[in-house]
Amino acid sequence: MEFCFLRILKLTMKVLVMLLLFLGNIRNSAAYFSSSSEATMHTNNWAVLVCTSRFWFNYRHMANTLSLYRTVKRLGISDERIILMLADDMACNARNKYPAQVFNNENHRLNLYGDNVEVDYRGYEVTVENFLRVLTGRHETAVPRSKRLLSDEGSHILLYMTGHGGDEFLKFQDSEELQSHDLADAVKQMKEKGRFKELLIMVDTCQASTLFSQLQSPGVLAIGSSMKGENSYSHHLDSDVGVSVVDRFTFYTLAFFERLNMYDNASLSSLFNSYNPNLLMSTAYYRRDLYQRHLEEVPVTNFFGSVMETIHTDSAYTSFTNKNFGGAKTKIFLGQSFSSSDINSVRNSDDEDQFNNLTAEEDQHNEVGQCIFCAMDSGHLWSVIIGNVITHESVDFFVCYGLVLMLPLLVFSTWLSL
Amino acid sequence: MTKKKKVQWFWMWVIGSVTLRLILVYFPRNLNLSSRPEVSTPLTSLRRLAEGYWLKRSSMSPYAGSMYHGSPLLLTFLGPLTVTRIEGQPDQLLCSLVFVIADVISATLIRAAGRSLQAAYSSSLKVIGLHQLSETSEVLPSGDFAALVYLWNPFTIIACVGLSTSAIENLVVVLSLYGACKRLASLAAFGWVLATHLSLYPSILIIPVILLLGYGPDAPPRKLFQQRIKLEVGNSSSIGSNNLKEELKDQSSVLKVFAWRLVVHFFIWILLWSSYVLVLCGIYLQKHGGLQELYRRTYGFILTIPDLSPNIGVLWYFFAEVFDFFRSFFLMVFHGNILLMIMPLALRLNHRPCFLAFVYIVISSLLKSYPSVGDSALYLGLLGLFSYELKDIRFSFLLFAGYVGVSLLSPVMHNLWIWRGTGNANFYYATAIAYALFQVALVIECVNCMLNHDRMVTKLTTTKLKDAKS
Repeated sequence: MEFCFLRILKLTMKVLVMLLLFLGNIRNSAAYFSSSSEATMHTNNWAVLVCTSRFWFNYRHMANTLSLYRTVKRLGISDERIILMLADDMACNARNKYPAQVFNNENHRLNLYGDNVEVDYRGYEVTVENFLRVLTGRHETAVPRSKRLLSDEGSHILLYMTGHGGDEFLKFQDSEELQSHDLADAVKQMKEKGRFKELLIMVDTCQASTLFSQLQSPGVLAIGSSMKGENSYSHHLDSDVGVSVVDRFTFYTLAFFERLNMYDNASLSSLFNSYNPNLLMSTAYYRRDLYQRHLEEVPVTNFFGSVMETIHTDSAYTSFTNKNFGGAKTKIFLGQSFSSSDINSVRNSDDEDQFNNLTAEEDQHNEVGQCIFCAMDSGHLWSVIIGNVITHESVDFFVCYGLVLMLPLLVFSTWLSL
Repeated sequence: MTKKKKVQWFWMWVIGSVTLRLILVYFPRNLNLSSRPEVSTPLTSLRRLAEGYWLKRSSMSPYAGSMYHGSPLLLTFLGPLTVTRIEGQPDQLLCSLVFVIADVISATLIRAAGRSLQAAYSSSLKVIGLHQLSETSEVLPSGDFAALVYLWNPFTIIACVGLSTSAIENLVVVLSLYGACKRLASLAAFGWVLATHLSLYPSILIIPVILLLGYGPDAPPRKLFQQRIKLEVGNSSSIGSNNLKEELKDQSSVLKVFAWRLVVHFFIWILLWSSYVLVLCGIYLQKHGGLQELYRRTYGFILTIPDLSPNIGVLWYFFAEVFDFFRSFFLMVFHGNILLMIMPLALRLNHRPCFLAFVYIVISSLLKSYPSVGDSALYLGLLGLFSYELKDIRFSFLLFAGYVGVSLLSPVMHNLWIWRGTGNANFYYATAIAYALFQVALVIECVNCMLNHDRMVTKLTTTKLKDAKS
């Protein structure tokens, strides 16, 4: 009788779990298919900063990119999430009066080429092909991870491009061009591969806004420093260095960000409204038809920094759900030493935690679901019973005694059958 | 009746082999045998066991990271021994001692099994009237020989000193065969359950064990007994009917009737021991996935062969090349290869279950997924048990030279490939193929020789019967 009851109980629990999994999956797959990125959570920020021009007289493009690199790092994005592409080396150029230093202002207040600048693509590696490979993620197998854009469907990506451009193109290295439809295709591929949740494209070239005129993918916001037929101008000439050191658009962008720190929640609309066409000597045009959210609600740190919501938990990680985490979890454990009381207190809340996780909307990792499925098979009830009877430390002793007990049992049984 | 000769100073030889192992354990320069692929496989390596034990103590599953793939019972038993260090003694001394003791126990069990086999065989030869043959079969103390061959076999010594858990696996296999020879159902069940639990392949030994328990140890073909009984009945009907019943009783006691009761006991003991073992394992792994995790990581690992590091087997090279699409097909083919040989051999050799067990062990050590020299150690030791029947084996020198050659060349090729880089995988795999070929030649030749022996016995019996009739 009890066996029947147990079997029915197990069966109903299995059916329940299957239903929950099924519903959860439907929800997630529906969200995926509807191509609105509301179901996925924003988990990380990436920045791809590209300077496309070489030669000494294009110093200002390098300084633009490096200033934005500094800003983005200051507001929280770390080097491993930044792909910095510089087409030429200004800091160690033979014509640089201040070796290993790059300035974006004639007051030389800030050295942009400080101690911890990590350039991922340098010199002749900055090509249209490499740029598109970075965006789409289609690299040769030997390309190291630091040169890859390892974003996922929860990433917000800032793409900043500066250099010489024109009507529907951007010039790379004075020898090749990136066209607007190439960029649109790459962004479309990225969207299909789920490589970003939201993308902000910022272009500082002449006739910049033509570069993103062909974009169609949802979730993309783009701003360019000038419209079709307009030039973008440099801000000022540094007579000491001998060249123009910064462009107007980037100068005013930096002026906006220098007033901010990581905890301000200035919105994108305030950034976009801060550009004065008279000061810029061009019209900064932004394109928001592909972007669903209201710009007043989006803080700039969504793209230019990395401010993540932290969730505080008191309990230690347990090792029961490590079937699929396997390798990842072992890394976590190496540094920790936990007492058995932690494990005891958490073990009982295991089941509730797992059920809660499954019903939570944000968590769409299938691993949790699989763990529940494994836990709920026929062994689970038995292990719950045993778990309540035998505590953690005594398991080893119990098994040891059981093993040792086998020998006298064997001798006894042999004697019986003799 | 000639006296049964014992090997003089048997125990002296045993102590000598133990001393040799201890010398090798205490060898001043590190022999590093435990890192050789021929000795330690992902299933038998003691370093992996130590890793699994450490993982368990850090409250993780011992199977995490795909290091350890053995039984949790071994983990409980050998795990604490891998961490205790005694000052001034070599590392893993306690584990080496455990393996040495396991080897000695295996040798004594082989000796006892050999004795009972020999006694049973000579008495069955007497029953069918071949008294001279029965006397000559007792001249050679095959049990002692087999035990000493097992102990002094370089493969066994290397497997023991190289800290491979195959010593314990061999022990439980020999234990089950011994229990079956002595017709102790619970001992045989215990050995079989543990052997299957530790490594999957001894599960095919259930057929010879059942045959041993049912029919008794090796004997000439059963039809010879039936012919003998007919003859005896015929004779006794002419002598007189009062002796008839006693004669018939004597004959039917040696007539091979299948002992069903014993086999049923055997199965009951299997159930008991296996549930005991599984309960212990389930408790041990309750936090880390329970029995499903156990099966996935031990039997699943053995059957799906995810680890393709080189060894003396023939499977790693093949599965490194096969396309993913066909991988499961070829897995089924390779494992089915072992399974397909079970039935025909059982049908042909069902009157010699101990020899059948030997053949199964050779085949499984040839085709198993992660073979090592410890597996060859087992069957080479058991080979000695049949020294009387196999005395006419052909190519014995060729096979011996082949084994020696392969065991010398294989480490050389491995070194050339891995360490010097002047060779490649084909060099090493060639020695693996040669090794497999020699094993195949050995087993075919042994079966051939055994069948020839059976034919000789049959011929002698029928001529004797014809003489008796006429």
